Amino acid sequence: MESIVFLGFNLYAWITIVTVLSMFTVLLFTKLRADLVFLGAIAILFVTGVLDAKEAFSGFSSTSVVIIGVLFVVVAGLTHTGVLQWVVKHLLGQPKSYSKAVVRLMLPVAALSSFLSNTTVVALFVGIVKMWSKKLGISPSKLLIPLSYASGMGGVCTLIGTPPNLIISGLYAENTGTAMNVLATTVPGLFCLAVGVLSIIAMRKLLPDRQAPEAAFESTSEYTVELLVPSDNAHVGETIAEAGLSHVRGGSLIEIVHFDEMSSPVDDDEPIMGGDRLIFAGQIDEILDLKKSHGFVNADHHVFTMSEVGKNRQLRTAYVNFGSSLINTRIGNSTFEKDYNLTLVAVARRGKRINEPPREVVLQAGDTMLFECPPKINLNERDLSSQLQFFDSAQVPNIGKKTFVSTTIMIAMVALSALNVIPLLQCAFLAAIAMLLFRCCNVDQAMKAINWEILMVFAGSVVLGVAIQKTGIAERLAFGILDVCGTNPIVVMLAICFVGTFITEFISNTAAGAMFFPIMYQAAEQLGYEPYPFLIALMVSVSSSFATPIGSPTHMLVYGPGGYRFSDFMRIGLLMNIIILFANIFITTIVYPLTPLNP
Amino acid sequence: MNTEIKEQNGTYYCYLSGWLDTNVAPQFLEDIKVLEEHIEMPIVLDCEKLVYICSLGLRGLLKLKKTSADKGGSLVLTHVSGEVQKILTMTGFIKLFDIV
Repeated sequence: MESIVFLGFNLYAWITIVTVLSMFTVLLFTKLRADLVFLGAIAILFVTGVLDAKEAFSGFSSTSVVIIGVLFVVVAGLTHTGVLQWVVKHLLGQPKSYSKAVVRLMLPVAALSSFLSNTTVVALFVGIVKMWSKKLGISPSKLLIPLSYASGMGGVCTLIGTPPNLIISGLYAENTGTAMNVLATTVPGLFCLAVGVLSIIAMRKLLPDRQAPEAAFESTSEYTVELLVPSDNAHVGETIAEAGLSHVRGGSLIEIVHFDEMSSPVDDDEPIMGGDRLIFAGQIDEILDLKKSHGFVNADHHVFTMSEVGKNRQLRTAYVNFGSSLINTRIGNSTFEKDYNLTLVAVARRGKRINEPPREVVLQAGDTMLFECPPKINLNERDLSSQLQFFDSAQVPNIGKKTFVSTTIMIAMVALSALNVIPLLQCAFLAAIAMLLFRCCNVDQAMKAINWEILMVFAGSVVLGVAIQKTGIAERLAFGILDVCGTNPIVVMLAICFVGTFITEFISNTAAGAMFFPIMYQAAEQLGYEPYPFLIALMVSVSSSFATPIGSPTHMLVYGPGGYRFSDFMRIGLLMNIIILFANIFITTIVYPLTPLNP
Repeated sequence: MNTEIKEQNGTYYCYLSGWLDTNVAPQFLEDIKVLEEHIEMPIVLDCEKLVYICSLGLRGLLKLKKTSADKGGSLVLTHVSGEVQKILTMTGFIKLFDIV
């Protein structure tokens, strides 16, 4: 098979190329789980003989993948002891200008993200930033993109801050036998962060000034609400006028749908029947008062008495995630409400009312939905959280002694590793054990914190990197890049980082890191230079995905709450990609001067 | 759907049969106008052969019931069962009518 060569690649290389391209096509255009897609790709490479058994499963024993797994537990300890809340409480303050607000927001977020999962940090900050922006009189859309960018740029600052750093440093250690310092990327990362903060302030006009989607739930006539009449309602048999619904405070009744789906115009003489769905337009709190005054309910199915609808149900806002199976569907046509014991109350899109009953709305990513939920709904349920992003402050932990303990454990872990006292893997294990021993999190919380899907994707990314290297694709691509870019190492570094920056907009940062590692490594060696600075630059560039909301999970977290459009990210993100790319190359080559390899 | 109205000893009997859906409801509302002319008299609606009733049909019955009460008459539903009973229960109308 190796003797069959086409366009410079043998059959194994072509199998790898087709597998990788198919894998990313499947990830982009289907809703299949990413870990299954990666496993499928590994299976193909193993069955076709591209990889032997040891190579095919190397990702699962990779040190960097194990570190990521153990760090999930460390992060759980920090999260459950309120470290994030402490930072929020003490650092955000009340800045007097937009520039100061951006600095006050981005620096703490970046600092936290350099040790914690970016997604965890952003998920917590989104709700807080929304309240904060209201207090400051700044549109949340002006602050939520900077929030997401800050987490990405902060993550780059340490090896443990973001998975691609661990993957690339792990592969470097395997290739050279030398481990990178946990703070290897700190100076380039901080420089890029500073440039990023200044760029955001300078380009603030490119950020949309958009009303928060939930504002639709606060302002008049910007949404529709559906209420149901129980069979035993006191107003059954009365006309609309008799029931006092001709003129509703804060809104109006726009449609009545009877039990037989017969939709009636709103006539004063129209009788109210049990099972009617009353569609109102107007101010949400005023309309929801009709539940108390008239005994109407929010329900997705017919109810005979109000007691069937659980008491103490709460209203919660959620946003439709990218990739959610709810996109292009109507809630009314699915069993979603029944499956999760939620009741849809209202839907809004970018702060605008939708002229349809909420259950008839064909949903889009980023739509804001108001649900009535039981008080103890499990918002972390995997299926639910992949479809909707809920914002809930009910489970925020208290700040106390354990906040200090967990922070000390984290700082000790980083310090011991940075000073090369104990290797990072052992440090991570010790920190995880300490978090459990000091009860910063319990075993259940620790186990739940380990995201196996992400770990499988990381392991799969490592294996793909091995295949790309083994089949000579990396070498050929490196030669190709050298042919185009010449032998100037800065130009080659810039070219690979440029491609990496844009590829990572569409695939996971980790996969991009694993795939570009061999290419960057080979290119540096072919040029006769030590690969270390090239790989530092690569770490920064594969984490610099600013131009699409799908470029990073944190962008998706802010997409709905900010009321953003896809193009909002492109407008500022493309420029940010270029700015950070040049800042990255500039600082990396200063901090880590390019040194020729020893002959 | 068929509506048959008979007067016997000062009581008006209305025999409903078939499927009273939105297509035939306008004709049903037209047919029961005869009862409105004698609304102060006792009226009995026999639902034995009525299979289904839509919201428009219920609206007609409710109007008849209210007018009857206003004019001092009476309106009773008899032989209510099956789907019609379910609909009356679900809409809460079962409490609004005298059913024997």
